Amino acid sequence: MVNSIKGVFISCDVPMAQFIAHLNNSLPASQKFIIQVLKLDTTSMFVKPYAEEMIRDAVIKFRDENSYAKAN
Amino acid sequence: MPQVKIIAKNFMDMVASLPAIKLDKLYNNVFICEAILRSLPPLAKKYVLQMLYIDVPVPATMMEEWVLADGTSKHRVAIDRLIQLRIFSEISDRKRGTSYSLNPTFQNNLQKHIISGGVLPREPMNSDNAIKLPSLQELETYALKQWECFLLQLINSGQGEKLTGISSSMMKIFQRGLLSQRDKDGPRLTESGFQFLLMDTNAQLWYIIREYILNAEERDVDPADLISFLLELSFHVTGQAYNLNTLTEVQNNTLKDLADLGLVKLQQGRKDSWFIPTKLATNLSVSLADSSARKEGFVVMETNFRMYAYSTSKLQCEILRLFARIEYQLPNLIACAITKESLYNAFDNGITSDQIITFLQQNSHPRCADRVPSIPENVTDQIRLWETDLQRIEMTQAHFYDEFPSKDVFEAACDFAREWRGLLWEDSKRMRLVVKSEVHNQMREFLHTQSR
Repeated sequence: MVNSIKGVFISCDVPMAQFIAHLNNSLPASQKFIIQVLKLDTTSMFVKPYAEEMIRDAVIKFRDENSYAKAN
Repeated sequence: MPQVKIIAKNFMDMVASLPAIKLDKLYNNVFICEAILRSLPPLAKKYVLQMLYIDVPVPATMMEEWVLADGTSKHRVAIDRLIQLRIFSEISDRKRGTSYSLNPTFQNNLQKHIISGGVLPREPMNSDNAIKLPSLQELETYALKQWECFLLQLINSGQGEKLTGISSSMMKIFQRGLLSQRDKDGPRLTESGFQFLLMDTNAQLWYIIREYILNAEERDVDPADLISFLLELSFHVTGQAYNLNTLTEVQNNTLKDLADLGLVKLQQGRKDSWFIPTKLATNLSVSLADSSARKEGFVVMETNFRMYAYSTSKLQCEILRLFARIEYQLPNLIACAITKESLYNAFDNGITSDQIITFLQQNSHPRCADRVPSIPENVTDQIRLWETDLQRIEMTQAHFYDEFPSKDVFEAACDFAREWRGLLWEDSKRMRLVVKSEVHNQMREFLHTQSR
């Protein structure tokens, strides 16, 4: 019987893929979210459904950490 | 029946969408007939005038002889337009084929109008009343100021300050297609809203008037009456005073709304009240294509991302605030800066980098507009780069399939997913598949049939 898993398909550039992989590795085993790495260069991956929002938030936070806004 | 699909770009398209009974009622007004005649394509004008005193139907084949061979497509467009507006009735007869005849109501009223000359819908009040009327320049300043106040209120519904007399329910109708109604942050300008602000005044005005007309029946007003009055208004002379006592109650109420939009100015004397049409009102029956006047630019953009807008306008300040950080607001100068954060606010609202760049180019100060490029390249490039930075990760809800029993089943599944446009990724060596979630149910049923 064909096996089927629900999740989120991610396509991105190499640096972002490394960022996501690092994020996955930094979590305890019970919270890791990468189901399959689909390409050798890791630009495509399949992750658990709950990870979508978590990754978005992490990317936004990462982006904010790398920018400076003058106080008004 | 008409082959041209009606997309309402001007009044006449709205007229064309009215039912036949209302159209006949509309054509009882000679000024409507004249306005519509003016709006027709050139060939259609010719046909109407040529048939103005012909009471019998004219065969279609005879009309085709009136044009040269290379005019066939224009002929077709003209005929379709006349049929849409029900100026022409199409009569089909088995023996004689198709014929066209003029709408009798339209025909009679146009004949009367031509014979009696261009009498105005109503007489201006005579100057003996010692009325002090605003000059044309004052009137134009008033009209644009009213319109700008309206636009400010339109895009700042969150502000408590009420700038015009338009009711909040009416304002919500106007905002329907322009602001998103997210509950958390309150209404915010959408991509369509920003596009609306980029339009020239006549196009903006047309959009608002169209929403006003489309909403008429909810206010127990007949849209045909409203269209009739607005077209009639466009025949009044700009700057002349007209007594309010010649108007019906519905027309009076409409006029109050129009005053808030800047189309008319209301004034009161000791005995009489009167209205004065502005240029905005007399432009109503003008086709959008005719208004090609370009606003003068006011924006100076520097290579260090600082922007100086030489404008006294609050509205322009609010527009700039959508994508730039306002730093100083002086009486006739707005100093601001394009920053990553200010642009991300714009991108979050659905405003695109192309729209922002187009806005800056179109509003470039005359001193800068002649330079090539008018907006420094490092600025436009950076705006686009910041936008693409938001799109580095693409996420799609999907299902992952593996453990296929055979190569044939795997390849059939891939083909099936491709047909449904759901295939995201495949690995034929290890027989693994990723398919969009929308297609999962179809895939499951397909795989069941394969296992039988």
